[in-house]
Amino acid sequence: MTERGLVAHLAAFGGALRERGVAIGLGEEVDAAAALTLVDLLDRDEVSTALKCALKVRREHWPLFDELFVRWWSECRPSPHVEHHTRPATDRTLPRASGKGGGASPGGVEGAGREVAAGEPGYSAEAMLRKKPFEEMSQEEIAAMERLLARLSRRLATRRSRRLVPSRGRGLPDLRRSLRRAVGTGGELLALARRERAIEQARLVVLCDTSGSMDAHARFLLAFILSLGSAAHRAELFAFNTTLTRITPFLAGARVELSLDRLSAGVPDWSGGTRIGECLAAFVGQHLDRVVRRSTTVVILSDGLDRGDPAVLAEAMRAIRARARTVVWLNPLMGDARYRPLARGMEVALPFVDHLAPAHNLESLEHFLTLVPA
Amino acid sequence: MRPEIRATQDAMERHGYVADSAIATAVYLARTMPKPLLVEGDAGVGKTEVAKVLAQMLGAELIRLQCYEGLDVNTALYEWNYPHQLLRLKISERDAADPAALERTIFGREFLLERPLLRAITRPDAPPVLLIDEIDRADDGFEAFLLEVLSDFQVTIPELGTLRAEHVPYVVLTSNRTREIGDALRRRCLYLYIEHPTLEKEVRIIRARLPGVDARLAGQIARFMQSLRRRRLARAPGVAETLDWTRALISLHLDHLDAEAVEATLGCILKDAGDLRALGEADRAELVAESA
Repeated sequence: MTERGLVAHLAAFGGALRERGVAIGLGEEVDAAAALTLVDLLDRDEVSTALKCALKVRREHWPLFDELFVRWWSECRPSPHVEHHTRPATDRTLPRASGKGGGASPGGVEGAGREVAAGEPGYSAEAMLRKKPFEEMSQEEIAAMERLLARLSRRLATRRSRRLVPSRGRGLPDLRRSLRRAVGTGGELLALARRERAIEQARLVVLCDTSGSMDAHARFLLAFILSLGSAAHRAELFAFNTTLTRITPFLAGARVELSLDRLSAGVPDWSGGTRIGECLAAFVGQHLDRVVRRSTTVVILSDGLDRGDPAVLAEAMRAIRARARTVVWLNPLMGDARYRPLARGMEVALPFVDHLAPAHNLESLEHFLTLVPA
Repeated sequence: MRPEIRATQDAMERHGYVADSAIATAVYLARTMPKPLLVEGDAGVGKTEVAKVLAQMLGAELIRLQCYEGLDVNTALYEWNYPHQLLRLKISERDAADPAALERTIFGREFLLERPLLRAITRPDAPPVLLIDEIDRADDGFEAFLLEVLSDFQVTIPELGTLRAEHVPYVVLTSNRTREIGDALRRRCLYLYIEHPTLEKEVRIIRARLPGVDARLAGQIARFMQSLRRRRLARAPGVAETLDWTRALISLHLDHLDAEAVEATLGCILKDAGDLRALGEADRAELVAESA
């Protein structure tokens, strides 16, 4: 293959990776091109390692990379192949604006259009993309919720950092800055500078159940977690039903209503069944180490109606509890005064939950604020 | 395999680091392109060692910046030596020197304390190896600052002006993934993920690092560790644990593994109370039998 052919082939390979959801930028491709000039092109393993290294392919994407690598680098394919291989990446992230009739009120899922995205990146093959409109939430409702949730998330996730920042009048003496100032006054120490521990930005992880049994509450709760996400400076959001989907990207920089549209389009198997245990276990396996730290508050929004193996759920909850600062379980069923946390999933998870609270309307969330220690 | 990469691999091995081709390729690319190398992997797989062995191979100075939560620019980059400056001011009060000259004096290089990052770009003779260890522990603000230093290799000190790197250092960053590293920083680097070693590699590591070890014992230990890692553990032991354990067994004058020896020394490899409890007598016997 000529050098130009190689670069074109590399670019096409990068495109194929991107299409499957591996984030690769131009910079990575430039690095990879440089790296290919430094390795033995006839040694496939070496080419593979060099590409992984230069394209910065993360460990979790290795199986996908290896699969594509075999397809693309076994024999020299002509690069025109690219054309039908690349689809606009925007397909997936654009809000599905089509309002699917008023029939799709909470609970009326069947009215929502079905769409099977065959081989779409990052989606399990069986899970169906179902759309669900959020029109019912009024502007005022959303605005009221956002105000409330800004307070809530500060309460949930504020903590003092280990880092010291200059402060006025209180805190520990800061000799370094005091002396620095004294240099200006010829070595006379006129006033002591002080510093204190910085207030850290909010850090939240929210896991939201979007299964059929949660349907009546889903619209409200999603608005809730989206507001949490924008109020907290660092929030990671996940939706789960039969599979776990990281939904933080849908939120990036958008207003709540817009995000709601994107979400209903982007979460697979909306209003399907629940496998809380498996999903939380998947969360523990794939994300826990990275997104949950000692300073993180984990909020789980679910009715705890689980059809899976209770042992799996218990094990996942134990792992989350061991790592997080606080685990909060918000249960919309608790709005009913007769409710007791007897659902099997709920019962198993309860020992690992710091706060179990109702979440069926704004009032219950306000009450919840008073429960959580600052 | 390209001869240069083979040479890198051999050189690393000569300095006691058993590298597979992935590690050797990454180190070679990082040296040649040259770009910072971001190394990730579980605890104890030898991430920090990559930087150390690179420094030994090049005969370069190793400058280490250990990151932690709350690490600030004054600890990482530079600091004025204030007590020293004040003393100089006091001394010069008596001979009423020219104030401008005095200011130039007290903000001169001799009053500057070099912290690791500044030190790494001001070495006059040869490029050093800069190890930025556990970058995931520092906060995002520091990461952004680091990005600036790593892209320009220059530092601006208001009182002194801009200091440009005499020699661009070789940079190795390590991360345990307790926090996701920002994309911007990731993009500046080449990436290496070190996995737990294969059986053959682990045997070679044990024998390279502890030449006194009995060949049979080394094989048994490696097989034991391999089967142990296949089990569900909260904290899988790394190569560091393997080596500690081997040392412990050697100092107990053992030449083979048995249930008794394993029970007495299990604390060298399992460092989680839950894991220790979960690995009962029957499991240990099974592991010993598998490794025989």
